[in-house]
Amino acid sequence: MIQPQTHLNVADNSGAQELMCIRIIGASNRRYAHIGDVIVAVIKDALPNTPLEKSEVIRAVIVRTCKELKRDNGMIIRYDDNAAVVIDQEGNPKGTRIFGAIARELRQLNFTKIVSLAPEVF
Amino acid sequence: MRLEKCWFCSSIVYPGHGIQFVRNDAKIFRFCRSKCHKNFKMKRNPRKVKWTKAYRRLHGKDMTQDATFEFERKRNRPERYDRNLAENTLKAIKKIDKVRSDRAAGYIKKRLDKDKNKKQREAKKELEQGINLVKAPEAIRQDPSLTLPSKVKVQVQVEEKCHQMEE
Repeated sequence: MIQPQTHLNVADNSGAQELMCIRIIGASNRRYAHIGDVIVAVIKDALPNTPLEKSEVIRAVIVRTCKELKRDNGMIIRYDDNAAVVIDQEGNPKGTRIFGAIARELRQLNFTKIVSLAPEVF
Repeated sequence: MRLEKCWFCSSIVYPGHGIQFVRNDAKIFRFCRSKCHKNFKMKRNPRKVKWTKAYRRLHGKDMTQDATFEFERKRNRPERYDRNLAENTLKAIKKIDKVRSDRAAGYIKKRLDKDKNKKQREAKKELEQGINLVKAPEAIRQDPSLTLPSKVKVQVQVEEKCHQMEE
């Protein structure tokens, strides 16, 4: 349940450390974003000497949420934190590594690059 | 489809039931119901919570070692389907389950038999303390022939003696 003003962790090595959601992409009047949704976010915290800087506006895809995710087979999964991966306009990740477990739903949404980089997929 | 065990209470998690929690280091915790999930969120240790299997095993309440446990094991290699084998397996499941439940019941019975004396003592105490609920104290005093544990009789006599001394 990510909405504007939600702070998210960053699950890659792009250089951003913390994001804040400012818009959900894909619908004009949608309230919440879930796993696999693309959001527009602002970088609230970034590592020094990296291409990304604080207060930069970027796109990111949500990979983990604290809110439970329901699958068609009846499985309900929840994760430790709200986390996103910084992506460019084409949907490719800006970083070269992904940290932590990510949801399998991303594969169906054509984020195959992120899924292949991820250490664990659930 | 796989029947998993609940992380907290060790009961079986059937498909479509319960919730899975994935920690950031990719460890999966499966819970059979919200009760177990909530207890996990409260950071309770299943070995210290009395109703869990972990506690019961640890404190010798349940059977821990038995040959029947060997049948229930996680197998990652899918078995090649064989009609006869499947039929025999389904038959054997019922039989093994019965053997196991009988042995578990026997184990508990054996454990509880040790406390027989203790139970009798407790029952006696309860009778002594609660006899007034059956018959009023005044009625007992008037008719001491009522079958009572000796302790209560003594109490009645003591009270009478006290009265005499006061007089």
